Amino acid sequence: MSYRLPIGPYHPALEEPYKLELHCEGETVLSADLHVGFNFRSIERLAERRNYLQVIPLVERICGICSNVHTLSFCQAVERLAAIDPPERALFIRVIIAELERLHSHLLWAGIAAKLMGFKTVFMGCFDIRERVMDALEAVSGNRVNYAMNCIGGVNRDVKDPGSLLAAVEAIERGVTRTIIPIFTTDRTVQSRCAGVGVLTFEQATQHGVVGPTARASGIAQDIRSAAPYAAYGRLQFDVPVETAGDVRARVVVRALEILESSRILRQALKQLPAGPLRGRAFVEVPAGTAISRIEGPRGEVFYSATSDGSDIPSRVRVRTPTFANMPAVRLMLVNAELSDAPLIQASIDPCYSCTDR
Amino acid sequence: MTDLDDISHELGISPAWREEFGSCWLAAPGLDPRALAHAMLARRARFVTITAIEQPNAELRLDYHWDLDGPLLTFTLATESHQIPSITELCPGADWVEREIRDYFAVVFLGRDLEPLMLCADDKPGIHLRNGRSQ
Repeated sequence: MSYRLPIGPYHPALEEPYKLELHCEGETVLSADLHVGFNFRSIERLAERRNYLQVIPLVERICGICSNVHTLSFCQAVERLAAIDPPERALFIRVIIAELERLHSHLLWAGIAAKLMGFKTVFMGCFDIRERVMDALEAVSGNRVNYAMNCIGGVNRDVKDPGSLLAAVEAIERGVTRTIIPIFTTDRTVQSRCAGVGVLTFEQATQHGVVGPTARASGIAQDIRSAAPYAAYGRLQFDVPVETAGDVRARVVVRALEILESSRILRQALKQLPAGPLRGRAFVEVPAGTAISRIEGPRGEVFYSATSDGSDIPSRVRVRTPTFANMPAVRLMLVNAELSDAPLIQASIDPCYSCTDR
Repeated sequence: MTDLDDISHELGISPAWREEFGSCWLAAPGLDPRALAHAMLARRARFVTITAIEQPNAELRLDYHWDLDGPLLTFTLATESHQIPSITELCPGADWVEREIRDYFAVVFLGRDLEPLMLCADDKPGIHLRNGRSQ
């Protein structure tokens, strides 16, 4: 018997509104439709009503998880238009905050994924380690969500005690290596729930232009940090984990290995943190033109286009978030899936609807 | 840069590339985006997104962004009577992008159905970002 199963827009599992309509035959999903826009806040229009400095806290509130990537992307775009080069220390601090954000985002996702697998002990373990990352972010920025670290031309706050931060990062890395990595890569419960589930092939991923860990789990070896380096990434050594199976397990493994790579980047950045000022020359005016900035956020490539008409208010700010690129591919992952796997499959791209809807 | 020149030659565009502000830019206001998509997909480029920017003449400038395995290429096209051919059939990744631009700016992408993506029921296309449409 075939039937249609509407889920959402309000979900008991993921606390963000979107609608998923599953067309099923028995316990098998035949096709799926997605409906978004429930979180639309007209951020792009609002950005055309504020000056450049006011846009920074506005875009920081696009997302409660990866708030830093939005301010970093926007500031980079404006810096390119205004020909401002942030000082070296600021570029390294940008990397430190971006990688701490990636750590807490990946650990949050790992915890939620574990919960959806019915593995609540791992959920508790992930959130325990994540809390130490949040403490590190709070120690640097004074904030746990919107860090307010980036400004046009540099950063607002210094990393005053890189030694203690390094110790915290090493403790986080030990915790991840001892518990999270072995469980997500070898545990039978994880394997049985994830292997061969929600497959997105390399060809499908390429056609749909998916990005970030979702793309890398389908064999697309691209990471903006290495493909088009920004901040201080060009001076740091790291690998880009790639898996080819394209299933939920591959997405789990890619993110787990990225946690270790983030720790590796953080160790280097904290040890090499150069002395110097936090900001470049004063920000005076933004000449007319359009500049683009891309960064590798926790969920993938974040794209910003900022257009200036020469005034102190941007005439256009365009934001393309990674979930916006990845979410349509969930329809492909769900075809022929077991109905009971649908929550885990849609969660496996680490979706953010605040980012998607803006 | 040789590859970039090959692209502009294949597309029949004579202006030179500009490399600035985070991208390589090519102005091609009369170019058919389907020909562009063909050329870029043949080079295994990744479609990134389209940026719509309203112009003083009420037409839309559409920046098509493609990633050539690291370098970002931006082709600046323009609508005619607020219309432009769709590339979704060639490039499924453009589906949501075109629907969103239709919702925000009332651009008609020819050759496809445009189910609303961001609009609420009874909202008219263009209400969110098109100047003069919100009243």
